[in-house]
Amino acid sequence: MTTYTWALLWGGLLSCAAASAQDTTRTTKQIEEVTIRNRVKSTEINLLGAIKTEKIGARELLKAACCNLSESFETTPSVDVAFTDAVSGYKQIQMLGLTGAYTYFTRENIPDIRGLASITGLSYTPGTWIEGMQLSKGTGSVVNGFESVAGQINVEWKKPFEDKEPTALVNLYQSTQARTEANLVFRNQFSGNLSTNLLLHGRSNWARIDQNNDGFMDQPLDKQFVGANRWFWHNDKGLEIQGGIKGVYTTNTGGQLNYNRDVPQVTGNPWGYQSDVQRLEGWAKIGKVFARNPGSSMGLQLAGTYHNQESQFGARRYEGRQQSFYANLIYQTLLGTTDHVLKAGASLQHDQYDETLSGNPYGRTESVPGVFTEYSYNGNDKWNVVAGLRADYHNLYGAFVTPRLHVRYTPWEKASLRASVGRAQRTANIFAENMGFMASNRSFVIDRPETGMAYGLKPEVAWNTGLNFTQKFRLNYRDGSFSTDYYYTDFQNQIVVDIEDPTQVRFYNLDGRSFAHSLQAQFDYELIRNLDLRLAYRWYDVRTTYDGVEKERPLVAAHRAFANVGYETRNHWKLDYTVQLIGPKRIPATYSHHGGGTEGESYSPAFVQMSAQISKSWKNDDVEVYLGGENLTNYMQHPMILGSEHPFSTGFDASLIWGPAMGRNLYAGLRWKIQ
Amino acid sequence: MKRLVFSSLFSVIALTASAQTADVKTDTIAVSGNCSMCKKRIEDAAYSKGVKRADWNDETKKLVVVYRPSKTNLTAIQQHIAAAGHDAGPVAAKEADYKKLPDCCQYKSNSCNH
Repeated sequence: MTTYTWALLWGGLLSCAAASAQDTTRTTKQIEEVTIRNRVKSTEINLLGAIKTEKIGARELLKAACCNLSESFETTPSVDVAFTDAVSGYKQIQMLGLTGAYTYFTRENIPDIRGLASITGLSYTPGTWIEGMQLSKGTGSVVNGFESVAGQINVEWKKPFEDKEPTALVNLYQSTQARTEANLVFRNQFSGNLSTNLLLHGRSNWARIDQNNDGFMDQPLDKQFVGANRWFWHNDKGLEIQGGIKGVYTTNTGGQLNYNRDVPQVTGNPWGYQSDVQRLEGWAKIGKVFARNPGSSMGLQLAGTYHNQESQFGARRYEGRQQSFYANLIYQTLLGTTDHVLKAGASLQHDQYDETLSGNPYGRTESVPGVFTEYSYNGNDKWNVVAGLRADYHNLYGAFVTPRLHVRYTPWEKASLRASVGRAQRTANIFAENMGFMASNRSFVIDRPETGMAYGLKPEVAWNTGLNFTQKFRLNYRDGSFSTDYYYTDFQNQIVVDIEDPTQVRFYNLDGRSFAHSLQAQFDYELIRNLDLRLAYRWYDVRTTYDGVEKERPLVAAHRAFANVGYETRNHWKLDYTVQLIGPKRIPATYSHHGGGTEGESYSPAFVQMSAQISKSWKNDDVEVYLGGENLTNYMQHPMILGSEHPFSTGFDASLIWGPAMGRNLYAGLRWKIQ
Repeated sequence: MKRLVFSSLFSVIALTASAQTADVKTDTIAVSGNCSMCKKRIEDAAYSKGVKRADWNDETKKLVVVYRPSKTNLTAIQQHIAAAGHDAGPVAAKEADYKKLPDCCQYKSNSCNH
């Protein structure tokens, strides 16, 4: 077996991918993936496997040339992306109508941006580093933990041992919104057994830009550096070890145009935002394939995270520190034949949080050891089943059981019908996940806190049920697919984020119902050769009980329609165009700046977003130049910041964001592969 | 609006599909090549006037080509592929065209693993 095959085999085995029904055939599957690279669709939904997985490939990622994880979903209808507020520049995602914190992010199947980094962390993975992503909705596999409520997004980095990767990849980017970015990905294969990656990213927003003339910078001045180094080693006896470290350093300064760092936040001075983050991650994976016992393997994943954030939103100070440790041991074996696969293992998630908001300290330690087992049936072409069960003991909330079930059925050729049901539990990091509301003069209030719990609140518990259908077809000699899915998330407990009172953001345990219905239909077709069309529509009905009254979740669009056209010429021009219609969102009552009191709730207008990109490559794609534009219609939310004239007075609110917080952006860049 | 787009799209496809069923031929030919990079070049070359679909398999080295005999013929398609540097059925590539291939696609001497 070639070393390359070994490496891939190992990558696959260790990753314990969410779709595990095919793991038995992993060896052959991996080899196939090497040789069979057909004209791979930029986004592919597979027909096999019990869990529906959208594979978002490098080509899809290139459609949104910029720049990090939060911006790489612009052409993915399953994910909504929106600004968290009008000053910090952070974007957060939404899946199944639920905010990004309910989606479980993993880097090569190790939990990535949990906890305090659930919003900011999306910017810590530069797009250039990413080889591909797998997106699955619903609760996913128990092997990966108990937290995923809305879905899982696994990000694969570029691999140092893959011959298709260049020795160095250089990406440079410049936008008219004064954003400059540089990315470097180096790889080196020392011998057949040892290889390494060095990944570097630097970014700066260096001009004070105010496209909507409200006196506030549309995005903060910032500097961001991310660096990572990782190593892969294996021997010929089925042992592989890999490990890496990643460091993040960011410093942001935003707010009113004439704000400078550390200017005292009192009336009369410019209102300011500043935020500094330092983060360090280290991880290791150790795996062993038992050659004597085909299909058996053992893997150990270890990860540690240190995260430190110091932020200031006007007079409000927020500091947060997280130290986390994660270990996951997975054993996999065949039960008799390759038809039956059993995985079993044990995990430990340990988190220590120390936060301070406006001088009030909030600290806690969470330690959750657990055991899990997952059975996969892969015995015939018609059916797949993945049934998982895990039991965990939470030091604050006690023992709980997490069952999850995924079934696939093939009703007829080229079609796949899947169903899933599962439980999820997580602790809400109420401050970090709702940092956008700090950009306001709302006071943060926790209702009826109980002792011995995180923020005095219970854990969030949800059941997610899903049904989806995918039909591939060939029409007029061109391939296409139609896919539709429906998911229903029902919260048994949720930490309700109540912004119905314009002077407060209140957090309390759910008393009543809270649920999210999500329906999506997507149609992909290659109209003529190399001209790909994607049409999608999705509908949400997300409701929560606020103080006994069931209301639509604010700032969530019920309707979104999406169209994307991509064309590639024979002489290596690529053109891409995306247009979306985003429907109205409910805006809760706001503070009346004419005489105090409140103004009733309202709905935002529907609006259209357009983006386009053109690129040209030379020398077998080794050199590529791209030029693009986002928000081409220059549509911006108005008004964006409420009470922007009096930022230190009641009613100042930069957090009710339903539309684009930045105007038209044009950019140009270069990708250069050095072989 | 959306419904209109969908329905008009489908009717266009349906019309073009029904119009041509009588005049379509499928052939399989052997085409030399190595990898996915070759695949793209081979298929690009095969997609000449009158070709509806071309799929090259890098394991079997076989190209399945669907075309309209009223507009083209197999020899013409093979000549297009040979001009891109790849031997196609009975039509061999000229040495000069073969030499233009990137190193890893020079299938007579090298192999590539992507």
